[in-house]
Amino acid sequence: MNGFYLSLLVFSPLLGLLLLAFMPRENEKGIKFLGFLATLPALVLSLMAYAAYQGGKGLDEFSERVRWIQFGGFGAIDENLYTVFYELGIDGFSLLMIVLTTVLATLASIASFHVKKEWKGYFMLFLLLEIGMLGVFTAQNLILFFLFFEITLVPMFFLIGKWGYFEKEKAAYSFLIYNGLGSAVLLIVIMVLFARTGTTNIEALKILVNSDNSQLVAPISESLKLGLLIALLVAFGVKLPIFPLHSWMLRVHVEAPPSIVMLHSGILLKIGAFGLIRFGLGIFPEQFRDLSVLLAVLGVVNLLYGAFMAFIQDDFKMVLAYSSISHMGIVLIGLGALNEAGIQGAIFQVVSHGLISALLFFLVSVLYERVQTTNIANLGGLAQGMPLTAGFLLAGAMASLGLPGMSGFISEFMAFMGLFREMPVLAAVGTLGIIMTAVYLLRAVLAITYGRSDREFAGITDIRSYEWAPVLILVGLIILIGVYPAVLSQPIESIVLGIGG
Amino acid sequence: MENAWLIPLFPLLSFLILLLFGRQLKEASAYVGILLTLASLVYSVIVLAGRLQGPTFKTEAGWLQIGDLQLTVGFEVNQLNALMLVIVSLVSFLVHTYSKGYMHGDERFPVFYGYLGLFTFAMLGLVISPNLLQTYIFWELVGLGSFLLIGFYFYKESAKQAAKKAFIMTRIGDVGLLIGMVLLFWQTGSFEYDDIFAAVEAGEVSGTMITLTAILIFIGAVGKSGQFPLHTWLPDAMEGPTPVSALIHAATMVAAGVYLVAAMFPLFEASETAMMTVAVIGAVTAIFAASIGLVQTDIKRVLAYSTVSQLGYMMLALGSAGYVAGVFHLMTHAFFKALLFLAAGSVIHAVHTQDIEKMGGLWKKLRLTGPLFLIGTLAISGVPLFSGFFSKDEILISAWTHGNTFLFWLAVIAAFFTAFYMFRLFFMVFAGEARSQMKNVHESPVTMTAPMMVLGILAIVAGYVNTPWFGTFLGDWLVEGNGHGHTEGPVWIMLVATLVSLLGILLAYLMYGRRTMERDWLSSRLPITYSILYNKYFIDEFYERSFVYGAKAVSLFLRFIEVFLVEGLLKVVVGLVQGLGRSGARVQSGQTQTYGMAAFLGLAFLMLIFAITGGYFG
Repeated sequence: MNGFYLSLLVFSPLLGLLLLAFMPRENEKGIKFLGFLATLPALVLSLMAYAAYQGGKGLDEFSERVRWIQFGGFGAIDENLYTVFYELGIDGFSLLMIVLTTVLATLASIASFHVKKEWKGYFMLFLLLEIGMLGVFTAQNLILFFLFFEITLVPMFFLIGKWGYFEKEKAAYSFLIYNGLGSAVLLIVIMVLFARTGTTNIEALKILVNSDNSQLVAPISESLKLGLLIALLVAFGVKLPIFPLHSWMLRVHVEAPPSIVMLHSGILLKIGAFGLIRFGLGIFPEQFRDLSVLLAVLGVVNLLYGAFMAFIQDDFKMVLAYSSISHMGIVLIGLGALNEAGIQGAIFQVVSHGLISALLFFLVSVLYERVQTTNIANLGGLAQGMPLTAGFLLAGAMASLGLPGMSGFISEFMAFMGLFREMPVLAAVGTLGIIMTAVYLLRAVLAITYGRSDREFAGITDIRSYEWAPVLILVGLIILIGVYPAVLSQPIESIVLGIGG
Repeated sequence: MENAWLIPLFPLLSFLILLLFGRQLKEASAYVGILLTLASLVYSVIVLAGRLQGPTFKTEAGWLQIGDLQLTVGFEVNQLNALMLVIVSLVSFLVHTYSKGYMHGDERFPVFYGYLGLFTFAMLGLVISPNLLQTYIFWELVGLGSFLLIGFYFYKESAKQAAKKAFIMTRIGDVGLLIGMVLLFWQTGSFEYDDIFAAVEAGEVSGTMITLTAILIFIGAVGKSGQFPLHTWLPDAMEGPTPVSALIHAATMVAAGVYLVAAMFPLFEASETAMMTVAVIGAVTAIFAASIGLVQTDIKRVLAYSTVSQLGYMMLALGSAGYVAGVFHLMTHAFFKALLFLAAGSVIHAVHTQDIEKMGGLWKKLRLTGPLFLIGTLAISGVPLFSGFFSKDEILISAWTHGNTFLFWLAVIAAFFTAFYMFRLFFMVFAGEARSQMKNVHESPVTMTAPMMVLGILAIVAGYVNTPWFGTFLGDWLVEGNGHGHTEGPVWIMLVATLVSLLGILLAYLMYGRRTMERDWLSSRLPITYSILYNKYFIDEFYERSFVYGAKAVSLFLRFIEVFLVEGLLKVVVGLVQGLGRSGARVQSGQTQTYGMAAFLGLAFLMLIFAITGGYFG
């Protein structure tokens, strides 16, 4: 591969963005189609990368590195001191995240066909968001990571605030404030590390911070390391979200357009998990071990809190929002277990939940398009008029509650298996969440699809034409992972191996 | 036997075909389902024949890699598995055939057959699993099949509730199984049955751990097999179409709990406490469910409670070290209970009601269904020469010889109840006067009666594979090479069993057949008892008030936290940001002098710090 493969991948949506700029703003069909097409180059490139990897190509061959910004004049001491490189690279985990991102972006662009106004601005922001997400997963140093991380915030703010539902402005602001604060904390961590080590390269940091005799600009004490890790936990905890930092994401789930929630719930929340694994666990492994009990407890709290709250919601979108909180608890449980099964479970959950929540929110979009409500009390008996939608909704719920044969089971199973080894009592408490997940999902889904319909849904159309693609692809992937988990476990093998020893 | 893995795949193929082309096939879907389950049946019989001569066959391949751990999937054909394969595929094939008549005219006919295929696939997959993880996977999938079929009439509120209840109640049990399985894994380093048993035998697992894991696994079995206290879903599951009740909620899936305990038998045997738990739960369930069955008026619910009760018998057998007795009863029960349900379906098909108070005098009108129902009733009541007689006898002997005297007498009383309520059912449906509204009653089509006849024959002859008179072929074969033990007991037990069942039949005859006794004899004398029984000991109400309300209360409490604490936090954060913004705005007053002063002071401050710390990185 040539040296700028990843740059091409990350910035490929830019092409569509530029073309869109020249489209007349009232050409609805053209804009939508172009918006969809613009996500394809990244999809193709990421799939090619995955295929190349499966074909035996080493992932480090994708790395690229260009000298970018130089702070101060330390050339005499070390040429690279306080130098920020533009450097991209991938490992097995980020490869999976990139494939997930490009797949979901394409599917979300299809879901965006349901958007009702100002398509041009919408799709331009959408593509900008995709660039930000892809960049986050490929950045090889913290400053570049931070830049891409911030790039995702801006389009999200406008996408929620302009194309959302009734309380969209409020949701957009709370999104911005919470994530802005999270970013500020993250920036502090990055700056401390940069100042004391002279680099922000992640691989370099892993070595510098952890070896006793490394040449640091200024020493990092053990307590400072712990402090930095806690700061990271807060920064990414906002994103994940960890109870009690979650209220912003409820609003986003409910108020943002479903196509954006597909990406938000599917990818953006996962940046929290990604950051915790890559930076938290990567740079501060010993301190991570000290915090593992805390993480596991937070995980169980998240799992149960989300599940019980989802049980009493009236709005289906709220049920799904709390369900996301609950499912992110499983990621934390896996991380808290801190053994091979747990970490693998956490990574599986990141991917699996991305697919499942994208599927469920796509169906929300399909549903809202037809009945203009997601309030459970106003729905019922939809399986009569929309058997296919109802069936897929049930399939999504089953995947989400961890039915074997689907991806949710594998991740939940491994995370719990890991935790049972380390903290069996806590894990046993957590299994209550497995029951509650079934309870709240069936309550909500059956209330929508089964039973009598209070309203007459005459002439309602079921899933049609372009709506098939996202549904089939997502269900297919969910089942593929559930039946043949090696598609995920193989790329992350080297990451998982050796953890917890 | 090397290709036994194909057996579950035929019904899966049926499911997939019907999923994709069901709409085009319409009622021709039935042929797809019937032919493919027939293929499974034929293959199962071949495999059983092979296993009768050959040794156990097992093969596995890697599935999921976790670090250094390799989890595998595969299949195993041992005695128990081979027997289960035939039972499941046979009943499934018969139910597939029967449904062609029963479901005729339903607009979701192909969907029904699709679900049947999915269920059969999962059930067959379950019984050939060589390890606990794979068992768990299929264990959940049969639950899915059951859920979908219970909720088949999705537009009925009651069906929706029943489906939800079935899924959740069994999932509570499943979590027990999951925990038990994972704990065992970390103890023994494997999910494989063989490895686990070897580790247990070698004493690598502590006694407490064996008891704990065995009981946790048993909780899974309790959920699936509708044992007390997780039994409430099973009677409600009768909301599903009747062939489904016969297949899933009588013959196969609900017996999976018994199968699981039988498959994990060496683990249970290693713990006296675990064995006792199984036996006590089994016996309690047997008498408890039978007592409820005495007063129910819905034909399918009576049968459902009798299923719960009979499954209790099987558990009692296993808990009393009666491995053969438990498995034997599982087999005979599968045949006669499936027969009873299919016959009940035939009755419902003819009279369009399930209320036995509204039935009567059907013996003359249903010339085939009536006698077949009678065969099933005789078999389940334990009348000599019918299959249920031999297997129930085995169970009683096991309970007695294992020293569970009290449980033995409970089981005897339950046998009396069984005979009574089954004949009560029989007399109320078939004897007496025909009701006026039952005019156009006619016998079901041959697709429905033929499967019933096959089951009728089996309900009579299946017992002879294992009798104290002609030889215990089944028992000898089942325990071959695993030493699970096979017991023989005193003859008087057989006489007692016969006596109580005849007494039960006699009482039912007097009350509902000849009517020399008042029908409300019990209800008028013991109104409170009657009311408790009629309301199923108020257990549903108790669960509703305790667990459902409890969960709601927890949720509402958490909502309180959410509103005041989490939203409060949000308000603080927003307030801080806004406050900062306001004070920032106030500073920006436009007065150059103030700006200049701020800049100067700031510079002075920085220089001060610089002076104190001694410059760059000091």
